[in-house]
Amino acid sequence: MLLSQNVSAIGPLNLYPMVHISLVFGISYVAPVLSDEHCTLKMRFRNFQSVLSWELKNHSIVPTHYTLWYTIMSKREDMKVVKDCINVTRSFCDLTDVWVNTTDMYIPQVVGFRENAKLVICMGSFFLVPDKPLDPPEFEIVGFTNHISVNVKFQFDSPGILSEELQFYLAFIEEHAGNSVKRHQPQITGNITKNFNYVIDKLIPNTNYCISVYFEPKDPRKINRSPLKCTLFRPRRESESSESATIGGIITLFLITAVFISTVMILKRIGYICLRNDFPKVLNFYKLSVWVFAELPPLEKVATVEVIHVNRKKKVWNYNYDDENDIENEAAPHLISGGYTKHGLTGKLCPTSTTSPSLEDCSLEDCSEPSAEEPYLPEPKGDAETPMAPGPGLWQSEGTSGGYQTRGTLWQDPTSEEDSDSTEGSEGRIVFNVNLNSVCVRALEDDKDSEVTLMSPSCPEETVELEDLNETESSVLVASEEGTQLPFTNPSTECPRPQDAPSDKSDTSDPDVDMGDGYIVRQVNLKKFN
Amino acid sequence: MTHRCLLQMVLLLCFSTTALSRSYSLLRFQQRRSLALCQKLLRQLPSTPQHCLEARMDFQMPEEMKQAQQFQKEDAILVIYEMLQQIFNILTRDFSSTGWSETIIEDLLEELYEQMNHLEPIQKEIMQKQNSTMGDTTVLHLRKYYFNLVQYLKSKEYNRCAWTVVRVQILRNFSFLTRLTGYLRE
Repeated sequence: MLLSQNVSAIGPLNLYPMVHISLVFGISYVAPVLSDEHCTLKMRFRNFQSVLSWELKNHSIVPTHYTLWYTIMSKREDMKVVKDCINVTRSFCDLTDVWVNTTDMYIPQVVGFRENAKLVICMGSFFLVPDKPLDPPEFEIVGFTNHISVNVKFQFDSPGILSEELQFYLAFIEEHAGNSVKRHQPQITGNITKNFNYVIDKLIPNTNYCISVYFEPKDPRKINRSPLKCTLFRPRRESESSESATIGGIITLFLITAVFISTVMILKRIGYICLRNDFPKVLNFYKLSVWVFAELPPLEKVATVEVIHVNRKKKVWNYNYDDENDIENEAAPHLISGGYTKHGLTGKLCPTSTTSPSLEDCSLEDCSEPSAEEPYLPEPKGDAETPMAPGPGLWQSEGTSGGYQTRGTLWQDPTSEEDSDSTEGSEGRIVFNVNLNSVCVRALEDDKDSEVTLMSPSCPEETVELEDLNETESSVLVASEEGTQLPFTNPSTECPRPQDAPSDKSDTSDPDVDMGDGYIVRQVNLKKFN
Repeated sequence: MTHRCLLQMVLLLCFSTTALSRSYSLLRFQQRRSLALCQKLLRQLPSTPQHCLEARMDFQMPEEMKQAQQFQKEDAILVIYEMLQQIFNILTRDFSSTGWSETIIEDLLEELYEQMNHLEPIQKEIMQKQNSTMGDTTVLHLRKYYFNLVQYLKSKEYNRCAWTVVRVQILRNFSFLTRLTGYLRE
């Protein structure tokens, strides 16, 4: 109504209100502020979420709505509008899904409008640099029989930036067991958007484990760790298996030990190792007394033997009894009565022993070999001291120690070529024992027909009595200077005389009589030879 | 004699491998710390990129840099060393029109130099072993990229917006370097 009244009185007075109204509208129009100084843009980049916020410095200018545009500095591109931030009344805008390149610089432009008029235009430049370290992700831990599972939950709604940038924000899982801390670095690929699961094994049973998860910031000095979540690792089923495994291990160890010990014992038993060093006592040389005062071997029993040398010339036994030639040599063959062949005694000194009258070394030649042997005619010595024996030799008996005498007479072969003078000069006397069981002896009998003295004419007659040769007792022939009568066995028992009386027959015609015991008796009339 | 030398060579190779493994972990830690410091220094340089939208240019960053997960540790070493060397070369040029603090630039150059010193022994050893790898190809592409940057500065006569644009590119390079450093882990 006022306008119509102002319009009817149009005149100079009526035009004044119209001009006034026009001026009012002109004043009320405000030009847009194109300056950063009037706006403060802030960029918050946290957990891969970028939010741009703005605040006008001049509070007198209050836009009714805002619109956000942006561009990049790497390329000459036009401003792009953010669809979610068109004619917004709020003073911030979520650019998580818009700004995904962390290597480029973004130039945002915020335009404040009041109705359709631009009131303010604010611009800035931002790199997507986290102003704070990434917040640690949420996670859950679950204890299993043999491991602990860590389920990490990403609170990122931007898959694009996650795939590209998350790999540079290394995620770490710290394992706290007592005072030790072990860090695990799970491999995060670009496809991970929501969460991922990580398994921690090789844990010590009955141990409290605390887990912490965090992202490694670009600045290594700023690490934002999550609060620890702990669990006691107490395997259930695996504990039993571990116990059984432990028992099995112990049993195995025991078996190995037993095998080893048995092997060592066997080797020791067979002498492959640990050879015995306990030598017999006889090899114990630590006794000095043994070294110093060594036991002397038992002395040998020495028996004195008196050897009577009788030189006799070698005489060829001639059975031709018709020949009455005298024998020049002194060593006329003396035939033993009864036809025994005398053998030269080759005795040797025997040890004098009262305990062991073993005189086999002094054995006489067996008189059962008459023909092979030269006749041995004992030649009595002129020396009365020379003991003479009627028999073919001396004998000695073996017997007990009681009746054993150590003196004997060794006869020299009367037919030896040695000079008879040697017999006279032989002063040595050898006394030895003769085993009567090994010789054939014959007692001298005073028989005109058959008997012949065993003595040489130069030797004194001696009658010798021989004991029974079968007797085991010692029958000792002791030849002494006195001409002791010697025990003489009855030849009738040992050397039985032949039944036929000896006659002046050739030897060859004389029958040989088997006396038994291997002796053969020949009856020879030795008178022809005297 | 040959066997003795062979044994020594084998032992040296094993030892060097072990030493290199240990040095990679230490190198990674050093790189990450140094790159964080370099980025902080670069951000201290005053700049308004939103005001130089008209001066923007595509310098053709090698595409393989965007897919750095394909790099091996040895390739990453070669690329990192080349990038540090080129950045060092660029920052030594005339930046007087920018009003930047020379102290900050010097600190930045010093940090870059130390990083190169840490990488040089390994880089030389890798160069002796490898003949032609992905790292060598990427290095060639990087050299072309940095050549474009230098040529851009020259064409713009090292004006403020040119340096602003180059500064943004250097900041991007440090982001790539941070990625590559992450691949130095065992």
